[in-house]
Amino acid sequence: MANEALKQEIQSALRNTTLSRTLGKFCETYPERRLKSYDGVDFEETRDNIRRVKGYAAEHVDEMIEEFTKNCTARGGHVFHAGSTDEAMDYIRKLVKEKGVQTIVKSKSMASEELHMNKVLGEDGVLVQETDLGEFIIALEGNTPVHMVMPALHLNKEQVADLFTDYTKEKNEPIIAEEVKTARKVMREKFTHADMGISGANVAVAETGTVFTMTNEGNGRMVGTLPKIHLYVFGIEKFVKSLSDARYIFKALPRNGTAQRLTAYLSLYTGATEVCLDKETDEKAPKEFYCVILDDPGRREILADETFREVYDCIRCGACLDVCPAFSLLGGHVYGSNVYTGGIGTILSHFLVSEERAEQIQNICLQCGRCKEVCGGGLHIPEMIMKLRERSTRLHPNPTYKFALDAVSDRKLFHSMLRIASVAQPAFMDGAPMMRHLPMFLSGMSEGRSLPKIAQVPFRDVFPTIRQDVPNPKGKIAIFTGCLLDFVYIDTAKAVIKDLNSIGYLVDMPMGQSCCGAPATYMGDVENAVKTAKLNVDAMDAGNYDYIVSACPTCTHQLREYQELLKDDPEYYEKAKELGDKSYDFCKLFHMLGGLADEGDDKEINITYHDSCHLKRSMGVFAEQRELLSHTKGIKITEMKESDVCCGFGGTYSIKFPEVASPILAKKIEHIKETGADMVAVDCPGCMMQISGGLDARDIPMEVKHTAVIIAEKRGLM
Amino acid sequence: MGAADGLYERFDKNLQAVNGNSWLCSVGEAADVIVKAYKEAGIGDACLVESPLVNEIGVKDALEKAGITVYTDHIRLHSETAKGGICEVQCGIADLGSVLQLGDNIDSRLVAGMSEYYIGIVKLSSIVEDYDAMFDQLCAMKELPSFVGFITGPSRTADIECVSTVGVHGPLKLSIVVIADI
Repeated sequence: MANEALKQEIQSALRNTTLSRTLGKFCETYPERRLKSYDGVDFEETRDNIRRVKGYAAEHVDEMIEEFTKNCTARGGHVFHAGSTDEAMDYIRKLVKEKGVQTIVKSKSMASEELHMNKVLGEDGVLVQETDLGEFIIALEGNTPVHMVMPALHLNKEQVADLFTDYTKEKNEPIIAEEVKTARKVMREKFTHADMGISGANVAVAETGTVFTMTNEGNGRMVGTLPKIHLYVFGIEKFVKSLSDARYIFKALPRNGTAQRLTAYLSLYTGATEVCLDKETDEKAPKEFYCVILDDPGRREILADETFREVYDCIRCGACLDVCPAFSLLGGHVYGSNVYTGGIGTILSHFLVSEERAEQIQNICLQCGRCKEVCGGGLHIPEMIMKLRERSTRLHPNPTYKFALDAVSDRKLFHSMLRIASVAQPAFMDGAPMMRHLPMFLSGMSEGRSLPKIAQVPFRDVFPTIRQDVPNPKGKIAIFTGCLLDFVYIDTAKAVIKDLNSIGYLVDMPMGQSCCGAPATYMGDVENAVKTAKLNVDAMDAGNYDYIVSACPTCTHQLREYQELLKDDPEYYEKAKELGDKSYDFCKLFHMLGGLADEGDDKEINITYHDSCHLKRSMGVFAEQRELLSHTKGIKITEMKESDVCCGFGGTYSIKFPEVASPILAKKIEHIKETGADMVAVDCPGCMMQISGGLDARDIPMEVKHTAVIIAEKRGLM
Repeated sequence: MGAADGLYERFDKNLQAVNGNSWLCSVGEAADVIVKAYKEAGIGDACLVESPLVNEIGVKDALEKAGITVYTDHIRLHSETAKGGICEVQCGIADLGSVLQLGDNIDSRLVAGMSEYYIGIVKLSSIVEDYDAMFDQLCAMKELPSFVGFITGPSRTADIECVSTVGVHGPLKLSIVVIADI
């Protein structure tokens, strides 16, 4: 099981009603608001440019440091290049002591959090005041940020009022506008009396020695305007070469971060700007301006690692958090780092904060891929999390998972177990069509959903009895059923064959096939993933067929990934490539081969469609199935809200984290209900199992069918 | 007019979308506009950063005649208490409703950041079409000023319960006077 402490933290987050209300609402409205903010701006082009300019800086990071240092120094700044967090903190401590600094005002700097700056300087007797409203609130609470951009979302206005009352010793009413006024009043006094300001940089430009800070509240401007000493702390990943390069980042950062076209303030400091030294005499002079560049071993490790180097392209916009179904439920505290949260936080925490914590939290990712669509730096976050899982599984294998995956990877053993289960299951079914409760340690699997029964006769035994009447076949297709079509959804496999027969293709089922290996891959078990890949490459013998069809996008995706898994195996690579190149998911292949003319029984049915994560985001198939359905007479499609948001199945995810998967499913069911549709169409048997289980558990009499089945039934093919 | 057609209208529309507002007026009209705005908002004192354009408009005299106390020196001291703040800004961006401060002058940064009601004054001819045009201008400068600040509406936050609230550490209200070129 997942770490017990993590499980408890997940429960605690789920109990926080303020968090679920505010974060839930924010995340629900975020995609549309974000999209609107990009009106007139090409996001794909922008992020390509971000990758290009940040990629260049990463390749030339030593030059960037040298150039920035030269140019900032030439404009009156002082630059310290720190080779570790300790070195950075030692420099800052000495500077603070030497300048006699007693009070510091700080606007958000994630790098300074990595240094534990507030605590260290606090121990030296220096007061470090967080000035961002959210950061100020959580500092009063003694907590860590729940969100990278909005750190105090877990607290309601009543709790904030209590914290402010304690701090100001005056009664604060739970009225947000008044609380903001209190923050302004409290912080004004801090800004005007501070000896030093500390800022974090969103970008540092090598060619000009310029640092950029983006804020909405104006605290960043105060920190850079009022104190006589101004210190920037930022990591080497903030560099770009030129001022022109920086523009791309600020096109994406506010739009991705808060769905704004630009934040209220964007400030560029190049060296020592003017400051007022004495308000009574109005004496002015250039401020003392310092930059600490954090170049610690963790950052160098990222740059040196081919798989993770693209982490450098992250612009810290937080978009990956805002679209993550798990994050929108849990918030950032379960990610355990006091700096970085969510999907990107999992990766950054591994390199920059704590490998141990990162190992626990990497499993929170559903692998739905939604973050990749919006990532401002174009990072492959799910793939990188998978790589972390692989590393972690290699270092610390979980014996229970290993045992299960070993069994699944042994075709004969696994299939025997399924056949035995099909006999044993009536004990849990009470004559119902689905299992609503499982005993003891399996109970989590049926939390908020019923489970389908395992077929008495698997599809592999049914297949030889199916008559395929195709007089002049155009070609031969091999079906890869995967576990769910072979042992649970027999009718779907039958429908795939009937549909393909109807357009002139014969279908064969190679009997040596087994589980596609996705469970092993998603649990980081490379050994078993490779084992099943080889088994299926041999079994499917792709050279004998025109195409390979699968009606499970996870399986299709996995078949396509075999060539990557076997890239270093000269015996298997070419065969794996042929298998991958010929493999298509049902709708894509059916559509590609011409689909069908407008036919159907013309009986009216209102269908809503749920997009599978793998089909839409890994394979880009979302229009084809809608087209096939809408060309079937009688079908009306009513789109549900967030049709492409994960249903919570996530393969083994719904077993490992039923407490997270269950509310994700509940939301999906709500969206389905809102459409008033008669039926839910899906293309993934995993989603079918999850959604039909969720509907059954709630006594909602709505059918969930695979597109292949709907097409076959409406056209009288089965 | 050509390319500048509708430039001010777009600037104003985009500024309004971020809770700011603007007026397009001539040098001769500007002082009255500012006085009226401050009177309506109940502003009794203001820090003013003088510049040739500000002086040409005659802001100081007009405000003082209207009974509003004006500070033109010791801005650091007076900005702690004065409710109003006025200075010239160097550029604007029509597609964002943004204005830009370019330069080293600390007083301009103080009034734009610390006042409750900030009024910026910009020439219409200094407003560029969009963000990219502004960056192109910055990139073309021989030397970047030590401070460049984009200001897009009054300060704001959504840090408590995601409720958008205007006016945190910076101005609660922001207006821009756009001076039509003679």
